[in-house]
Amino acid sequence: MRYFLRRLGFFLVTLWAAVTLNFLIPRLQPGDPAEAIVSRLAGQSQAVDPAQVEAVRKMLGTPDGNLLQQYGDYLSAVVAGDFGVSYTYFPYTVTHMIGQGLLWTVILVGVTQVVSFAVGTLLGAWAAYRRNSRVDSVITLGSTFVGTLPFFWLALLLIYVFAIGLKWFPEGGGYGGGSNPGWNWLFISDAFQHSVLPAMALLIVGPIGSIMGMRNNMVQTLGEDYARLARAKGLSRRRIALTYGARIAILPNVTGFAMALGGLLGGTLLVETIFNYPGLGRMMLEAVSSHDYPLMQALFLYITIGTLLANVLADMLYGVLDPRVRREEAV
Amino acid sequence: MALLEVRDLSVTYSPRDAAAVRAVEGVSLTIDDGEFVGLLGESGCGKSTLGSAVLRLLEKPAAVTGGSVVFDGVDITAAGEDEIRPLRWAKISTVFQSSMNSLNPVITVEAQFADTFAAHPGCLPPDVDARQRAVDLLEMVELDAGVLRRYPHELSGGMKQRVALALALALSPRFVLLDEPTTGLDVVVQRAILDRLRALQSEFGFAVLFISHDLGTVMEMADRVMVMYAGEIVEDQPAEAMMSRQLHPYTQGLLGSYADPRDAELGVDYVPGRPPNLADPPAGCRFASRCQVAVDDCSTVHPELLPATSGAARCLLVERAGGTPVDAELSGRFVAARPATLDEKPVLAVRDVAKHYRVRRRGGHTVKQAVEGVSFELRPGRVTALVGQSGSGKTTLARLITGIEQPTAGTVSFTPSDGSALDVGRLRGRRLRAYHRHAQLVFQDPFGALNPTRTLAYALTRPLRNHLGLSPGAARQRAGELLETVGLSPAAQYLDKLPHQLSGGQRQRVVVARALAPEPTLLVADEPISMLDVSIRAEIIQLLDGLVRDLGIAMLYITHDLLSARLLADEVLVLKEGRVVEEGPTLQVIRHAEHAYTKLLLDSIPNPRTGSTRRNSRAGGTAGLPAAPVIRG
Repeated sequence: MRYFLRRLGFFLVTLWAAVTLNFLIPRLQPGDPAEAIVSRLAGQSQAVDPAQVEAVRKMLGTPDGNLLQQYGDYLSAVVAGDFGVSYTYFPYTVTHMIGQGLLWTVILVGVTQVVSFAVGTLLGAWAAYRRNSRVDSVITLGSTFVGTLPFFWLALLLIYVFAIGLKWFPEGGGYGGGSNPGWNWLFISDAFQHSVLPAMALLIVGPIGSIMGMRNNMVQTLGEDYARLARAKGLSRRRIALTYGARIAILPNVTGFAMALGGLLGGTLLVETIFNYPGLGRMMLEAVSSHDYPLMQALFLYITIGTLLANVLADMLYGVLDPRVRREEAV
Repeated sequence: MALLEVRDLSVTYSPRDAAAVRAVEGVSLTIDDGEFVGLLGESGCGKSTLGSAVLRLLEKPAAVTGGSVVFDGVDITAAGEDEIRPLRWAKISTVFQSSMNSLNPVITVEAQFADTFAAHPGCLPPDVDARQRAVDLLEMVELDAGVLRRYPHELSGGMKQRVALALALALSPRFVLLDEPTTGLDVVVQRAILDRLRALQSEFGFAVLFISHDLGTVMEMADRVMVMYAGEIVEDQPAEAMMSRQLHPYTQGLLGSYADPRDAELGVDYVPGRPPNLADPPAGCRFASRCQVAVDDCSTVHPELLPATSGAARCLLVERAGGTPVDAELSGRFVAARPATLDEKPVLAVRDVAKHYRVRRRGGHTVKQAVEGVSFELRPGRVTALVGQSGSGKTTLARLITGIEQPTAGTVSFTPSDGSALDVGRLRGRRLRAYHRHAQLVFQDPFGALNPTRTLAYALTRPLRNHLGLSPGAARQRAGELLETVGLSPAAQYLDKLPHQLSGGQRQRVVVARALAPEPTLLVADEPISMLDVSIRAEIIQLLDGLVRDLGIAMLYITHDLLSARLLADEVLVLKEGRVVEEGPTLQVIRHAEHAYTKLLLDSIPNPRTGSTRRNSRAGGTAGLPAAPVIRG
């Protein structure tokens, strides 16, 4: 229990630090955002009109008070989930936009991550169990080969074959023009159709890390003295592979999985861009390229929180799965 | 018919990217029901490979390439895994070398018993509860039932080894293979486990093959001892006969490396050189190159293991002498001779030093007193030995002396011959680095102490350039001289070698040379010989002894081994739980120990001589379990 409380404590402190940095860094940058916007609007050569600057400032809601006061306002806004208005998607609020993208990303990336981890761990364990057999060669060489292919090329190949060639699936986007977003059958089946190709791309590449990690860890644990002793004890091969191999080998993989889930909030920029998928990754790219500071700042904060949460999750899982970790903390 | 019959067994390692190595070559042996047989050999001689072959646990790239292992009528080398599985543990069980790692780390001790019983459903009588059986087994090795709920990492090394032993006896096997079962354990813990093992063996009558490099334990425990060298069995004799008359020159060398530290006068032998490369074994006798009495034929004729007056030996000279021992005329004899006390001024004075660590516990802190109220002095040309079990604070003292840690109380002061006293505990930064020029360390593990990717020249020139500021050219030349000093000559041959190209003993010489590089006044040697093969230990002791005398270095020798302390040290401090319980001149402390703890340490040393009295008493039929103290360490 102590272990878990400590982990939670670490999480809260780091979270606070992250939020504070997220507040401080933009404020330490030189320049006035309102002036920048006006001069961009007006073109490089003309002088900046103070009235215009004032108008933009009103629109953006420039902060008042000293830094400490701003910090207090910022904290309470963050807690309330208020990140202001997006520049590019005006007049929608940042929170609204993120909520939109989040669902797409969580469904697409979340599902494929979980499936990738499960498939990868099973394949890796199978390869280790049948070490140096044909199964092992196929799995190991196959994943090494696929791992060397550039992801964007793989994705484009999928589009080329299945969307342009066979016309089985749409080329991109989250849903087609014919359906209205909402909980209706037409929309859901349409969204599913659109998600097949990006999911496929993610599923081809996703399991490789788990496969290689699991196989190598398990080959190692099966070579340890306890696994040899289990053989000497006359345990069946399956039992040794499960309790003495996979059970121990999976531990580092669990951390990798949790970390990957944390990265999920940032979306997978590449896949969302290639498939023009309306998730957080694409939104971030747009926010950066169009200088949408409120959206960027909120997205970065989301990614930070996601990573931190994933870290805590990994630590907690580790604590449950590995009795050794619990004790090291207690001493 | 014998219980275990190994006939002409050969095991070959065939790695993909290296030459095949015949680790075990034509080994034949038999073990009868209830017999306690020892297999003695140094690292790399093939004894553990032989053990794995007997258990049929060889893994690629190792494979049996000839001969057979027959256990109780079943040919283990030919049978399929499914035929062997019922035999495993029910009839043949084992305790591995590093029991630190032979228990599954993520399941409880109880689960490890449970899966053993589950794998052999018929072996436990139906009316016996598995948990109760596990409790009884733990009781046999003096552990209480609470251990069942624990995970392996919550147990000490000695407790884990007891669990491993209890596990090995779980299904009442007829044969137990013990591969270095007490290596790495403390001498006192080892004593308790060996006593326990002995009592259990005489109670249950299982046969044992006891594999170890440790001569003392093998000679004490076994009825019959086989000696293995370079993949072959070179001698096989009843233990008592071997104690009094060793046939093979190698056995003479091995037994020569053993002595009772309590003897009034003692010396130890060593066998210079190293075993042959088994990828390309010599045509004749494999020991010939290290043998002082080898004749011409020894390098061309490969000797057979032939019966001698007692037992058997693989030696042409023994064969020609009609099976009687030959005199090996051992060359490397190191005799413990301590010069009279010199009145040198101390270079290092430790006064009332204490070191406390705060240990976090559930709901607060406790203070662990690693070292408490220790005082001593180190003088040039003298060796002070720090003796104690693991956890007694020896290494903490070494860290205090070298300034790596600061004492909680008391002072460590260093007085160089040409300067004023330094308070070591207060040195920081550059001044601490300057002090390290004077105080150097020799580590325990010669394999871990050298960077495997750097040449010896690099390892030796670093301290020369850092501490003495020598130019690269001068440093390299000095590095060569240092190698010559530690007996690696000609140095030019060694300078550009990588550590893995050297044997353990040679590596330890390099570690010593590196410590000598900045011309230190003070040398702290932390168990410098405990990882080395017994036949070469005396060689390193002799080297250290010579250096201390010739260069006038003050040395702190940290060890758990009283024999080496007796050989090397002028004074001994016995440390127990951070306090000095006895100190004085070596001979005085070891021969006339006063403190109970010193006596316990001395009594714990495996003693081949008590082995013979035990064997006699066992022949007389004492089967009762002697009451042994429960030691949790």
